[in-house]
Amino acid sequence: MTTTQIRRRVDPRAERAARTVLTGQRPRLLRQPVAAAANERRRDPRALRAAALVQSQPRPRYDWTRDAASAGTAAAVGIAVAAMPAIPLRVIAEPAYLVLAILDRPGGEVGEHDRQVIAAARLLADAGGGAVVTVCTGSGEALAEAGSDRHVALPDGWADDYVPERRAAAASALMTALSPRHILFPDSPDGADVARRVAAAAGERLFTGVQSLGPDRATRQSAGGSLETGHRPTRLMTVAADAFAPLDGVRHEARPLDLETSVAVNEVLPRLGGARRLAVDPDALSLSETDFILSAGNGVTDWPSFADLGGALGATRAGSRVVCDAGHLPRERQVGASGTVVGARCYLAFGIAGAPQHLQGITGVRHVIAVNTDLHAEMIKRADLSIVADAQAVMPALIRLIRERRHD
Amino acid sequence: MTEAATTNVAVLLSIGRHPVSGRTRRAATDAQALEMALALRPKRLTAIHAGPAADADALRAYLGMGLERLTILVLPEGADPVEPLIGHLRRLAPSLVLTGRQAEDGEGSGMLPYLIARGLDAAIVPDVVRIGPSDAPASTASMTDLVQALPRGQRRALAVTGRLIATVHPSAPPARASAFGPARRGVIEPVAAQATADLFLSECEHRPWRPKPKLMRVKRGGSALDRLKAATESKSGKGQLLVNPTAEAGALAIYDSLVEQGMLP
Repeated sequence: MTTTQIRRRVDPRAERAARTVLTGQRPRLLRQPVAAAANERRRDPRALRAAALVQSQPRPRYDWTRDAASAGTAAAVGIAVAAMPAIPLRVIAEPAYLVLAILDRPGGEVGEHDRQVIAAARLLADAGGGAVVTVCTGSGEALAEAGSDRHVALPDGWADDYVPERRAAAASALMTALSPRHILFPDSPDGADVARRVAAAAGERLFTGVQSLGPDRATRQSAGGSLETGHRPTRLMTVAADAFAPLDGVRHEARPLDLETSVAVNEVLPRLGGARRLAVDPDALSLSETDFILSAGNGVTDWPSFADLGGALGATRAGSRVVCDAGHLPRERQVGASGTVVGARCYLAFGIAGAPQHLQGITGVRHVIAVNTDLHAEMIKRADLSIVADAQAVMPALIRLIRERRHD
Repeated sequence: MTEAATTNVAVLLSIGRHPVSGRTRRAATDAQALEMALALRPKRLTAIHAGPAADADALRAYLGMGLERLTILVLPEGADPVEPLIGHLRRLAPSLVLTGRQAEDGEGSGMLPYLIARGLDAAIVPDVVRIGPSDAPASTASMTDLVQALPRGQRRALAVTGRLIATVHPSAPPARASAFGPARRGVIEPVAAQATADLFLSECEHRPWRPKPKLMRVKRGGSALDRLKAATESKSGKGQLLVNPTAEAGALAIYDSLVEQGMLP
């Protein structure tokens, strides 16, 4: 069926009239049919449905917002262009009050939890014309689209060091200098630590792990997660992870705030010192908490090389169900629906075809590298870097390369 | 590890709550704190609980771990335990106080060790997994070496000056099992304490927790097809593909990719 053509309506009387020849003694009917006049106003639902179809596999999906009369790509492009205007800048010049968001910003990048804290702070600020002040290391430009009106930069050296006492002292100094109505922290290990230090120093009550927030009511989990405790928002709160949606499609100033006094208070005599990261044996970590996983599937037969590669990369070894069933790796090293659902940053898979149950286990992985002999394997489609090769050839080559580069 | 830090240790123990049945039990991280304290073999080990005397039977599980006696500061229901604990610890003057990271019942804000550290003018370190000598020597007499748990299984070594209050992380060494006989034989000593009512908690309203819908990461903008794909599909198909490279070329591609991701130096 041609989709754009309007379907012919059968009108037997009109067809008969068109075939009738009146010249002669009596009317004669011609044998061959004549094309009937098409009815312009007739709606063809099948053509409309076909035009709205955007995806037929694995099940049909329809986009009814498209202009069905001019079905095609041109209309869709037109809509996309019209729907993307520049986001207007929201300026809060004279804030009625301030809401401080003291962020972690681990490793210099604005994390998802930090954005959620800013979103929670915006809920409190927008209720009465207040402004959100973000406090973290680094500049505020990256925070403008997350919803920050003002920004206070902490000293750059604090980004990598473990200085909870100095961070808490800086937060306390800002608390007295700006007298904000609320101060929010992320409920992450470091953020909650600083928040509790500030609360203990200020002698104020900390409302931890806020799950929902309004201008007159905040709630949190208590009694081991069995009760919901509500109170009006206190001055100091920590925001639970994944409780608030980060803001999208907003643009604020994130203007550096002028402070009379420096926030870097160095008169605190730190009791904690000599902080340094320890080397951790990657195979001693559980799969759910490790960052880098080297995984083997049915395509791996060279197990000594696999173990060497795990040592050379410093990655936690894991495997698919087949490998663990065969006893090459212990059961707690299985990735997938019946094993562990992993959230590693990098997943290097050798000889894994990618069963749905296995892919389910690696949905949260950011970067996947797959080595497999089958070009059409599901794992190759999922991976960010796919290499169609034999794992037994690539593993020793990779070990050699790592050792070469290390000795250089 | 210096001698001074381990001679006088206090452990703060709370009554836990089983997450499913809601029955009282020994709190998981408090039991790990007690395990850590027992492993240090201090000259003097004091275990303290503050709360109503009626719940004391649940504390016998701690006595079954090898404690001989346990002090309970008897407080009325709904009282703030911070001030009585600070007062009691001032008299004991321990060099190290160990406790769990957060109570399993009640408010569970995790503030208690911080408030006690403030009251005792001590250092506070959260999420400790080991107290003892690390591989680096060079620590002076008043320093305590410890190892702290970080997210994603990482560990951090720290040196702390002076009196220390440490909260224990769940990945610390597991607590030993509680034995019935010692649990019956152990002594629970009630000590009367003065406490004020917790006004903030009585202001709060409580109701049963109802699970909230999971936060979905909705991508706005773009066409309907883009939004649909972002919502339903996992990221796929945009990766780089090398078909039948030599082993060296494949290894180099993997190496470069890992360096780019920051997984290799």
